[in-house]
Amino acid sequence: MATFTERMAPVLVLWLAVFLSGTWAVDKGNFKTCDQSSFCKRQRALKPGESPYRALLETMELTNTRLTLQLINDNNKVRLLLELYRLQGNMTRVKINELKPLKPRYEVPDVLIREPPTEPLSLLSQDENGVVLSLGAESQRVILSARPFRLDIMEGRDVVMSLNSRGLLAFEHLRMRKDTSQADPEAEKKEEAEPETQPEAAKEEEKDEAGMWEETFKSHTDSKPNGPSAVSLDFSLPGVEHVYGIPEHADTLRLKTTENGDPYRLYNLDVFQYELYNPMALYGAVPVMLAHNAQRTTGIFWLNAAETWVDISSNTAGKTVFGKMLDYVQGSSETPQTDVRWISESGIIDVFIMLGPTPKDIFSQYASLTGTQAFPPLAAVGYHQCRWNYNDQEDVAAVDAGFDEHDIPYDYIWLDIEHTDGKRYFTWDPHKFATPKEMLQGLMDKKRKMVAIVDPHIKVDCNYKIHNEIRSRSFYIKNKDGGDYEGWCWPGSAGYPDFTRTDMRDWWASMFAYDQYEGSMENLYTWNDMNEPSVFNGPEVTMHKDAMHGAWEHRDVHNLYGFYVHMATAEGLIQRSGGVERPFVLTRAFFAGSQRYGAVWTGDNAAEWEHLKISIPMCLSLGLVGISFCGADVGGFFKSPNTELLVRWYQTGAYQPFFRAHAHLDTPRREPWLFGPENTALIREAVRQRYTLLPYWYLQFYNAHRTGEPIMRPLWVEYPQDPATFALEDEFLIGRDLLVHPVTEEGARGVTAYLPGKDELWFDVHTFQKHNGAQSLYIPVTMSSIPVFQRGGSIIPRKIRVRRSSSCMTHDPYTLYVALNPQRTAEGELYIDDGHTFNYEKEFIHRRLSFASNLLSSVNLAPDAQFSTRSWIERIVILGASKPSKVILKTDDGQESQVEFDFDASMSVLTVRKPGMNAGADWSLMLQ
Amino acid sequence: MKLLFSCSLLLFITAACLSGSASSRKLRGISSSYKRFYRERRSFLCIDGSRVIPFEQVNDDYCDCEDGSDEPGTSACPRGRFYCTNLGFRPHYIPSSRVNDGICDCCDASDEYNSHARCQNSCWNLGQKERAYVEGQMRTLDEGLQLKQQLIEEGVLLWREKQAQLRELQQVAEDLQIKLEEHRRRKQEAEQNLKALEAGHTRVRRQNSSESTFRLLDSNNDGSLSVEELQEKLVLVQEEELLLSEEEAVALMGGGRQMDLPMFQQSLWDVLNTEERVKIRGSVDAEDPHLKAADTAAEREASSLKKVEEAYDTISMEISDLRTKLAIDYGPDWEFLFLNSQCYKLSVYEYTYTLCPFNQVTQESAAGTEVSLGRWGMWAGTPKNPYSQMVYENGEPCWQGGSRSTTVTLTCGTETALRRVKEPSKCQYIMDFQTPVACQTVLKQRGIHSEL
Repeated sequence: MATFTERMAPVLVLWLAVFLSGTWAVDKGNFKTCDQSSFCKRQRALKPGESPYRALLETMELTNTRLTLQLINDNNKVRLLLELYRLQGNMTRVKINELKPLKPRYEVPDVLIREPPTEPLSLLSQDENGVVLSLGAESQRVILSARPFRLDIMEGRDVVMSLNSRGLLAFEHLRMRKDTSQADPEAEKKEEAEPETQPEAAKEEEKDEAGMWEETFKSHTDSKPNGPSAVSLDFSLPGVEHVYGIPEHADTLRLKTTENGDPYRLYNLDVFQYELYNPMALYGAVPVMLAHNAQRTTGIFWLNAAETWVDISSNTAGKTVFGKMLDYVQGSSETPQTDVRWISESGIIDVFIMLGPTPKDIFSQYASLTGTQAFPPLAAVGYHQCRWNYNDQEDVAAVDAGFDEHDIPYDYIWLDIEHTDGKRYFTWDPHKFATPKEMLQGLMDKKRKMVAIVDPHIKVDCNYKIHNEIRSRSFYIKNKDGGDYEGWCWPGSAGYPDFTRTDMRDWWASMFAYDQYEGSMENLYTWNDMNEPSVFNGPEVTMHKDAMHGAWEHRDVHNLYGFYVHMATAEGLIQRSGGVERPFVLTRAFFAGSQRYGAVWTGDNAAEWEHLKISIPMCLSLGLVGISFCGADVGGFFKSPNTELLVRWYQTGAYQPFFRAHAHLDTPRREPWLFGPENTALIREAVRQRYTLLPYWYLQFYNAHRTGEPIMRPLWVEYPQDPATFALEDEFLIGRDLLVHPVTEEGARGVTAYLPGKDELWFDVHTFQKHNGAQSLYIPVTMSSIPVFQRGGSIIPRKIRVRRSSSCMTHDPYTLYVALNPQRTAEGELYIDDGHTFNYEKEFIHRRLSFASNLLSSVNLAPDAQFSTRSWIERIVILGASKPSKVILKTDDGQESQVEFDFDASMSVLTVRKPGMNAGADWSLMLQ
Repeated sequence: MKLLFSCSLLLFITAACLSGSASSRKLRGISSSYKRFYRERRSFLCIDGSRVIPFEQVNDDYCDCEDGSDEPGTSACPRGRFYCTNLGFRPHYIPSSRVNDGICDCCDASDEYNSHARCQNSCWNLGQKERAYVEGQMRTLDEGLQLKQQLIEEGVLLWREKQAQLRELQQVAEDLQIKLEEHRRRKQEAEQNLKALEAGHTRVRRQNSSESTFRLLDSNNDGSLSVEELQEKLVLVQEEELLLSEEEAVALMGGGRQMDLPMFQQSLWDVLNTEERVKIRGSVDAEDPHLKAADTAAEREASSLKKVEEAYDTISMEISDLRTKLAIDYGPDWEFLFLNSQCYKLSVYEYTYTLCPFNQVTQESAAGTEVSLGRWGMWAGTPKNPYSQMVYENGEPCWQGGSRSTTVTLTCGTETALRRVKEPSKCQYIMDFQTPVACQTVLKQRGIHSEL
């Protein structure tokens, strides 16, 4: 109700100054390029092929679990300690730190779910040039070359990956500041040891001095009391032309080479109106890259939470298809190769090399390090209705009623920052949300839920309990001078709790207790926004790097902040229910391991077709690195979508893991029924399709939780040998069995979908029409079309009685869609539990459904688990079937009965009518 | 009212007859008007005619008919609907998806016959409330319509009054127009007279020799002008009452304190002829009383013309205002006319909203800042009732483009007041405005309308 100026008064000046550039797009000048980031500039200036590092083989120690060895920088004589581990599950870990750092360097805690178990390494051979180690039973070896230092991981005679092969290992050792310490012990040592190289070394250090001890960007000065501390290493990937991952970037699924521009940047930032198709940093950072070719998939996990840049180059990138063909014909082709280089501002080198060889091996390897996707409550897989802001309780009630009136299901309605009392999180606006429990009870009566925002910036206000507690416990992050760090954010002046502290996180979690968080109830869940952290008046809209988290600088932990906020909040939701209920927490900032705490979304996108399109590669990239519960704001956050875009976005979002509509405060209302009955019907249908598929989605979440495999996955994950799939990003798979090619073009009359697999069949889920695999299929589309295909050979359970919310559908019967492959077989799974508690660890139904030799059967995959359901099988639809003479059902008590059926000869669809057996029982169905 | 009551009673009897009978399952979720489709036979024809199924398959919790007609009483059909009899209240349909979903939708609890939900039959209560509400509405409507009649009468009077006022103003304007022309003519004449006299006077002045002027100034006739003599004889044109200061006199003498004739001819004589701010005291008046009279006359005519012009402008403005006002559509009976020139206020949280119908909408914050939420735009109701909604547009601009606007919905009430203000989207306000003139006779029929 307020005018802009009144409402935004505290932050108006900042917004105008910092964010409004007058044109529609990110103001790039607010964010650093590599050249403006002194360590990146320094490191990127290094020339390949001049590595000063040498392995001191005589220092090698090989124990049962690890190899250690010293490296020396021949230029400055600083020694590093290399640790090499063979990890269980076909991984190799390489750690490099200073042998004797002036003070400890930051090693990322809490991201690995445990100390990764090792396997023995054995020495195969050794001479003065290096050593050869065996990596377990397979024919894998590591060759460690001494001068210059280099690691090559071999499989048979092939090099899988090389480290420091381009000689770009760099380790800026901690040092005393020259003007404060006359006696630099290293310099002295250097002089003694190699007087002839001294002038050159000195010259180098002089050249590098700029930005080492202080750095200014725009009006912000970074005091850098510890001086230069960057680390860097290069990796060569022979035979690789496709690399993926390192989210979050608004870029293509397949990563581009970066030689002609900036490297990909990983530095969690609140980017206002981000631009597409560039390597700029966004809200989250997962330093994991996957490399893939038709033979093998490998992965690199660079465990470092400081600002990081990743350079990618390729020897084939510049070549045209014709050029490549020419190479091939002339037989002069060099092996294609991708080179990758990681640069981080501080910390150590701690890298996990995941050796696959299949994409699924990579997922399980990475999951064994950082854990899997949290298994969400079933309702969270439904549809979420959000807006900045639903104005008051009456508004919430009206929107809730609107969904019923228009018969559109939803599970969660969301409240953004305006619901609070003056942006004091954990409170409610006393006028607009005077009786939150009444509101929540109203939703609960309809089996619906709510999410309210809780951001990590805390209003500095001595009448605010949360602030007082944090201050009195000294839980705030400190500035470089030791006082509480203060920055500007939504509430005006705000403090930032130090979530890297365990005691802080414990306290924060306790604030979600029902008696602490007044007005909260069990159907209220949480949204963590602005946790990069966003600081409106900070450098690059985030925190000063010289702010202090205990002994560590913000520089060291920056990319972890959002991860910890998310962790503490999820823990709070678990604790408030006494450990019974599964939490649901959405976060904007994230790091490796964030998948363990809930969902992420792609931040503040815009109502533009290009933003709709990029939601696919952005979520696919996140899925590849473990974060499956991903979605983009349906409709686009900034600006107002036209009706066609809004409908298409619903249709796309309905088939992405996290399905939430959201809108900026300044945009007109866009609840689904505001665009005429036709469009309401289109949106209703998209949301209903989501709800019919909830059993399949839930199963995908269960599997993601168990295996770490992405839910929404690129085609190449399932068809790793088909190069035609390697760069596809306008279509994707949900699990293995559903292929989705959403319409993302304005005014589209048709889409061309690639259906993979030369032995596969694909069935249009709407028409049941059958298509062969390994073809590009043109599909004419209308406004109601959402091209989706079920893989022949799969069985997908659905609930077709779509109700008001997912909880209303708990006891509903299932319809099984059996799509036969050319061998006339099919397999699928059915998973059922209570949908919201941790009891799923013991109490669930997990069954394998398989069809072969005209027999469809349900077999218990978890005989030890206990759960019973009222749900039954109401219908079985067999696609690609032939007409049986009769259908006989055999139940677990041995009873046989004939079941009615209907056969559509034109589409070869057999519909078995009301077999009626319990979904948790053993049964078989015979087609005769 | 009576009709509703008796229909409910009828339903009650029907329901009582059916309860407990073997066919109750079959008949679940069907309205009496649809019962003819569900007569017990061997087979059932889907109502859309698409298919024939065995009658046992009606309400057997499996959807056979495309149109959902075989499962009126279960949740099996995606497109189905369930009829809540709601004895004592209004019967209505709910989507089949709300049958046995654990949420009480029908007030007679009939939709949750196989769920854990414990639904109470609340139809009688609701019915009573509804009846009370409808009665209240009817009373309001009756009262409102009476008031409206008065307001219409007032409106007609007001309309006539305004029309008369307009005619009156137009008459005044016409008179003024004539006067205006007369004054313009007289002013012109006076000015011409003055100009002619002035031209003659200038010639006289030019003829005065430098010697005679020197003599005029040289009071003591000593052949030399002194500072005191200048102070005595020369004055500023603007302020004849004030003496020249000594400094000013010295400055006119070129810095000296004495001046003889040759020096006077070279310097001060030219100054006096060209410098319009200084003149010889009493020179003109003394020299030409005709000129002075003509000057005064011209000034008098100019000022009276200005007064008439101002009066004319004021009247013209009033006419234009009134015309604009009268050009607005105030409804078929000018019933909305009385709202013009009124303003209605409502405070919501820290803001006070003011609606001045047919004029503007504003929002004032507690701090006192006033923001325009739009100026009168148009009627924007339904084609059937265009007077049910007003739109005010082009208020204060918004941050991300566009400007504030307000949509006012008019509802029937016994008094005229602003009832509700909301801002569902940024810069788009909605208001509920209650007034007897929004009462419609058609409403009255809806109040007693019933499903049966």
